[in-house]
Amino acid sequence: MSAVETKPAKSLLETLREKLGIADPWIEMGGVRWLNPGALSVRDLAKGMNEAQARFVTITAVELPGKQGLRLEYHWDLDGRLLGFPYQLAGNSIESIYDLCEAVDWIEREIHEGFAVDFLGREYEPLLLRQGDKPGVNLREEKK
Amino acid sequence: MSYKIPMGPYHPALEEPYKLDLICEGETVCDAKLHIGFNFRGIEHLAESRNYIQVIALMERVCGICSNIHTLTLCQAMEKLTGLTPPPRAQYIRVVIAELERLHSHVLWAGIAAKLMGFKTMFMTCFEIREKVMDVLQVISGNRVNYSMNRIGGVNRDIEDPPAILAMIEALEGEMMRTIIPIFTTSTTATSRCAGIGVLTREKAMSCGVVGPTARASGLPQDLRRAAPYAAYSEMEFDVPVQPDGDVRARLLVRALEIMESCKILRQALSKMPPGELSTGEAKIVFTTGTATSRVEAPRGEVMYSVSWKEGSRNPSRVHVRTPTFANMPAIRWMVKGARLADTPLIQASIDPCYSCTDR
Repeated sequence: MSAVETKPAKSLLETLREKLGIADPWIEMGGVRWLNPGALSVRDLAKGMNEAQARFVTITAVELPGKQGLRLEYHWDLDGRLLGFPYQLAGNSIESIYDLCEAVDWIEREIHEGFAVDFLGREYEPLLLRQGDKPGVNLREEKK
Repeated sequence: MSYKIPMGPYHPALEEPYKLDLICEGETVCDAKLHIGFNFRGIEHLAESRNYIQVIALMERVCGICSNIHTLTLCQAMEKLTGLTPPPRAQYIRVVIAELERLHSHVLWAGIAAKLMGFKTMFMTCFEIREKVMDVLQVISGNRVNYSMNRIGGVNRDIEDPPAILAMIEALEGEMMRTIIPIFTTSTTATSRCAGIGVLTREKAMSCGVVGPTARASGLPQDLRRAAPYAAYSEMEFDVPVQPDGDVRARLLVRALEIMESCKILRQALSKMPPGELSTGEAKIVFTTGTATSRVEAPRGEVMYSVSWKEGSRNPSRVHVRTPTFANMPAIRWMVKGARLADTPLIQASIDPCYSCTDR
């Protein structure tokens, strides 16, 4: 009856972790199995998730306190398990994975519009903001 | 010579605004470009200025059809941050409301699909049945759209007489078995209008990351009620209908069969409902610092909420909502490629889009 996803399937996740070349263990927290990607680029991560036939779910942008910048949390679903990979941005840019995973198109555009994150290597068209608005501006900063 | 037809933002079939630029050659669609954002309300941003009671009421208004699903997903995420587990009776009530919502959503969609097929009598029949499902929701919650059923640690209202609700469900099921199901699964009108159009292959469905009935109609057997059970779904027996063809008819069949599965789940939940409390009853809710995520199988597919909180704060520091239509809509581009122009309204409607959810 718990809302926590219960499938163990340790071997599947461990195999994925080894294929991605990540030493840190999976950590289950708040309904997500997290893996610290370390030096693994987001593009290599996307390639690995494609190979594992995982389904892309979304990217959550989180503004960190003070001047720590932004964290992007990439989520994939693997056979009912929600996997999370946090990337803390140096500056306000990160490589786009749109050419590797077309499902990210709208969420990359949305984060670009709402948080001014530049996803390198792709072009943008307005998504949620209409004519007269300014895509590529951190709306939270605008509010302040 | 190719030419562009702008369809929308006032859609010929649906009441919500979005725009599709169709590039056509003759009567055939070669490509399409989607434009959303006409309903953008900045709800995620607004949530950061609401306390834990207000944010539930706010998120219930993300969608006018699956309003309960949004509060359920949000409350499940907030329960992870507060360490509260709803009592068994509350978990069963959550299942009942979620399945009633799926029923009325699927029957609403069936009505709209019937209208687009040129089958207007069926449209009226579907809406008559949908009214009765909403009557059941009104009996339980007092409301027909925003039910206000969920709270952190449980539900706000009891189902006081489950056998009476069960009798209403059985009457509804009989009516659907006589009308909606046979017409959508066997009639030549539905077959000839829907078979072979708007095809989304399994491979394309995978790469687009589509969810819910749209994915299951393309042969992907994903359903969070089965793959990652929440509330009391782990105690329910039901099948997950999957169709391999990926066309409009497959999406029609999946939803028709899901209506029957919802009735099956409702019968079990109402007959096995355990006695007990409706909520954990905390007078004051205390959040720990962190991020929690919850996913639920809404009528249109997976909804995901990611909620961040700082201990001692009145408001969430971040609420991110990924709705099913946000995942499904980009696939319309691939569904309409090669289709006849006249079929495009039905193809677009076949994913059961919700622009209110998508724009937030």
